[in-house]
Amino acid sequence: METMIEVENLNKSYHQIPAVRGVSFAVGCGEVFGLLGANGAGKTTTIECILGTKTSDSGTVSILGLDPRKDRKRLFEQVGVQFQEAAYQDKITVSELCRMTQSLYKTSVSPLGLLEQFSLSEKHGSLVSELSGGQRQRLFIVLALIPDPKVVFLDELTTGLDSKARRDVWKCISELKAKGLTVLLTSHFMDEVEALCDRISILKNGSIVYAGTVSDAVAASPHEKFEDAYLWYTEEEMSYESL
Amino acid sequence: MKAFRTMLDTELKLSLRGMDMLIFALCMPVVIMAILGILYGSKPAFPGAEYTFVAQSFGAVAAIAICAGGVMGLPLVIADYRQKRILKRLQVTPTSPALILAVQIVVYALYAAVSLFLVYGTAHVFFQYRLEGSWLQFAGAYLLVMLSMFSIGMLVGGTAPDMKTAGIFASVLYFPMLIFSGATLPYEVMPPALQRIADLMPLTQGIKLLKASSLGHPVEDVWVSVIVLCGVTALCSLFALRFFKWE
Repeated sequence: METMIEVENLNKSYHQIPAVRGVSFAVGCGEVFGLLGANGAGKTTTIECILGTKTSDSGTVSILGLDPRKDRKRLFEQVGVQFQEAAYQDKITVSELCRMTQSLYKTSVSPLGLLEQFSLSEKHGSLVSELSGGQRQRLFIVLALIPDPKVVFLDELTTGLDSKARRDVWKCISELKAKGLTVLLTSHFMDEVEALCDRISILKNGSIVYAGTVSDAVAASPHEKFEDAYLWYTEEEMSYESL
Repeated sequence: MKAFRTMLDTELKLSLRGMDMLIFALCMPVVIMAILGILYGSKPAFPGAEYTFVAQSFGAVAAIAICAGGVMGLPLVIADYRQKRILKRLQVTPTSPALILAVQIVVYALYAAVSLFLVYGTAHVFFQYRLEGSWLQFAGAYLLVMLSMFSIGMLVGGTAPDMKTAGIFASVLYFPMLIFSGATLPYEVMPPALQRIADLMPLTQGIKLLKASSLGHPVEDVWVSVIVLCGVTALCSLFALRFFKWE
């Protein structure tokens, strides 16, 4: 399988406090890879170091065989990103934001089709600021998909969505995956991770404490449900200390 | 180019929806031109002057939009886009965040150009004003004043840690320059002590240059202003680029 994202021995500290420690993983073509961990475990920092919006202290990253810092312009023609917080101009409408995003790429897919796919067609003329949290979240997934990317990064893709909207987003991601899209996502919802991710890495205090498939994660833990297994991996140290 | 045009188109719309530049860069200069014209009409600028008060004020009033856009609009919009992480989002697209800055500079340059047109129209139609100097020289002076003011704005917007700081710096620069550089309150009516303080402001030097070129005075009279403005532009641009923060 062709490697789309390769991260090797990534390290990043803020003011001498390590946020990411020796993180390595690879994501193959068409895979959905989940980066899990509690708040502050280093997920977002890891993603930002991979994307090059933060500089890592050491380690190497390549996406589609390119260096995200040196080949930024070439790389981001083919990579879509949805950051955790939505960033948009005051008083900008959905259609304006889509059109502006589309204009940045040499090749792109029509935002209209994507808006329809994510049930946002009627919001075409609305102000982005007037969308509900869930609608805005879906809009920023749409923006990440406008370049017709080979790889997308989705940081907390369904935070703030209701159950129905989450299921709709899962369906879209599964369809995109069937078409061969590679996805790196972070999530706090274990049902979502089980439904979508081929492989996961669990981060704790900036280090990977588990890497593999969801079913192997459950099998290697003393639990039967993935959510319990996940908590076991992230809280292992605490139970160890209490022994 | 496609990205630049689409972005310019969108940012212009957003800026017009914001209304503040319509008021401060387009309406205010016209109102001030009208007030000066009504108050002083076609009286000579001073007893024995060869030109009218309106002619003397034209260059100053034309600079109001540059000041509003350069030290108020530009730094605030840059600080805002940084704080809202719009620049960061653009960092993970094939465009350079520099593009959005170039777009903003063009937006505010357009405001200044439209304002110049409106102020000239008002002075010409209602107060029989004509530009005495060469239009080419005046345009060159206008461009230099714009560059220097915009470079100050880029420095403030590019380096301020957040919106609040940018707002404070912008106000500290904008209001004194608007009032004491001669843009609104005529420089000529200020007492000499105030004139000396006003001379320290870059916009005062800019307005001297604009006045000289609009009245057709020889450039030798204002070479100090030209040097000051070039210096301000070079220094502020250099620092703005050197200390620019995307996030």
